[in-house]
Amino acid sequence: MSEDVESILAVDWDIPWKEYPPKLVLLPSGERMVIREARREEVPKLLQAIRPLLTVEKDFYDIVAARLYGEVLGWYRHRARNEFVLVGIVDGKLAGISNNRAVDQKTHVSLHTIALKRGARAGAHMFAAKQENSMENLGAEEILVTAESPIGFRRLISQWCEPRPGVQHELGGAKTWVITRDIYKKVKPQQVFGSRPVPDDLLKRSATFEIAPLDWVPRK
Amino acid sequence: MVEDRLIGFKCKKCGAIAHSRRMVCSSCKGRDFEEYPLGDEGKVVTFTKLWAIPEGIEQLPLTLAIVEFDGNVRVTGQVLDEDIKTGDKVRPVWGNIRKIRGKEVQGFRFQRVS
Amino acid sequence: MTKFGRHDERSLIDLMTESSIRALEHAGATEKSVDAVYAASMLAGELNNQTAIASALVDQLALFPAAAERLENGPAAGASAIKNAYCGIACGMYDTVLVTGGEKMRHVRAETITDYVATMTNMEEEYVHGITLPSLAGMLARIYMERYGVTREDLSRVAVKNHLNGSKNPYAHIQQPISLEGIYGSPEAEVNNPVIAEPLRMYDCCPVTDGAASVLLCASEKAKEYTDTPISIAGIGHATDIMAVQDRKDPAVLEALRISAVQAFKMAKMTPQDMNLAELHDAFTILEIVESEDAGFFKKGTGHVALRDGVTSLGGKLPINMSGGLKARGHPVGATGVSQVVELVWQLRGEADKRQVKGARRAFSCNMGGFGNNVVSLVLERS
Repeated sequence: MSEDVESILAVDWDIPWKEYPPKLVLLPSGERMVIREARREEVPKLLQAIRPLLTVEKDFYDIVAARLYGEVLGWYRHRARNEFVLVGIVDGKLAGISNNRAVDQKTHVSLHTIALKRGARAGAHMFAAKQENSMENLGAEEILVTAESPIGFRRLISQWCEPRPGVQHELGGAKTWVITRDIYKKVKPQQVFGSRPVPDDLLKRSATFEIAPLDWVPRK
Repeated sequence: MVEDRLIGFKCKKCGAIAHSRRMVCSSCKGRDFEEYPLGDEGKVVTFTKLWAIPEGIEQLPLTLAIVEFDGNVRVTGQVLDEDIKTGDKVRPVWGNIRKIRGKEVQGFRFQRVS
Repeated sequence: MTKFGRHDERSLIDLMTESSIRALEHAGATEKSVDAVYAASMLAGELNNQTAIASALVDQLALFPAAAERLENGPAAGASAIKNAYCGIACGMYDTVLVTGGEKMRHVRAETITDYVATMTNMEEEYVHGITLPSLAGMLARIYMERYGVTREDLSRVAVKNHLNGSKNPYAHIQQPISLEGIYGSPEAEVNNPVIAEPLRMYDCCPVTDGAASVLLCASEKAKEYTDTPISIAGIGHATDIMAVQDRKDPAVLEALRISAVQAFKMAKMTPQDMNLAELHDAFTILEIVESEDAGFFKKGTGHVALRDGVTSLGGKLPINMSGGLKARGHPVGATGVSQVVELVWQLRGEADKRQVKGARRAFSCNMGGFGNNVVSLVLERS
């Protein structure tokens, strides 16, 4: 009986899914970040990483963390349709998380980007990577975007998107902007970077990640 | 009318000319000035494209330049052309330059002379 | 000094009090009286709702009835306070003076800070057009690139050098080394190092920082009561220049720095070549290059050559900004000038650990208020 209900409630991918090809990105420090798709079994660790941010009011980290937590958990428990999660790993440690989901083949929704490693432009690279995944790997024609924090707006939206008035973003019905195919083509040379393939040994080492203590988060 | 032409000030005592309106001449400390039209054409001495724009400014990026007029008089201002270069000839154009605390402020901006 | 960086949980007066206590402890002066306290802060009233910060500091430190005043000279407030403390002692009015600079600015929006800082420019000629300090630095950088062949790579090298130095400074705001490739040259540099005011990018501009720094000054004849290695202020210079950059004889010359440096060296009876190291005011990377010339260390237009040759790195003939400079140590506006002297005192005493300039005996610092139109220069010497 319960199996029937689960098969009614569960959602997964109903459009063709292709794994995001991992890439290597150079950070200002000279360190290199591997960006790859997360695996379902890594979610409990991701939740552990996000948890300390649930109470950080500064820069709206709390709402980003709270919503991302739900989205990642939703994907894990088969209650999120067509969602992918990317992780950025530096020196074996989790540096960033970003996620989108596809409404359908044509339209994707940009969900969240969080940088655990601060001062390294990790967020900018994680944001670019998920849009790259939606557009180039999964064939989206447009991505609906919003921002919760002023920094997110200033750094990411203002450089990538144009407004899409009259549309409510699924994140609380917020104002919506859009990245169209044309915009993506124009913005890509200035925003989307990385080298492929990731060298074997580095890829192997980045198959798992540790959670580094966040020294910038006030301890409660 | 103030919008018609770019006016500087000439010190009646030593002849030094500046765009800045002053009470005391920066060259000779004189206190008597007369208006001095700076002309219709200046040369770009240096410029920048500012991406971290202040409140009340809407263009992103904001192009700013220091422009030199006859007699080595330099004026700072916004530039309307995106692809300005050092040495370009520009002319002053009157218009809205920004808002300060919501109020529109007018002044001269520079436009390249083709 | 306190660690420079982000101090969300602490107030400005807390930071300045902590810094003061550390200086008093370092000098073994916690039980001794202090005749005067000079506080340096640019925006204590505007951002922290605390005017009369010097009175608040005397109160917190229980140093009453010491005389107390706040100095305001934009980002040169720190060195100005030290200059005034020197004068108070040299004229015989005071024997011991505490100088503390502090600023707490990270809790405010970036646009608001940029605006407050921009109010240092000429209101009618510059501010009204949207001029900000980064834009003035951008225009100065362009002149230097076109006139002297300074490149973006040169500017990036200043940032790399200062981040490396900052990584050895436990008090620095940013202790993360950066790589030249990461901020210049690689494709990723476009994202890693976004444009702020062309040709200047993010890593060409100093951060917004919270922090405080303190020094204790005393009359020379009393120095032995406090320390076996007193550092003397051998020379002071302070000069101004016309405010609007457009009105300067040459917009690429920091005349106020030139004059104040000459004054300081004259008073000290020394030359730039006598200096073993310097702390310069690198609010923007281009400024370190320009100041290294206008202070008298290198011929005009060759500062970047010295940088390329490693002259200004640790181990070179004139190491500049071993603390990390404003770029990496950070720039809590009122504290900066004092923190430059703190670094030099540590260096001249051989207490600078991994960033120590060997055998350092004489040092120079310059602290700029406004965009180069108000500069205080200091020459320090190990007695």
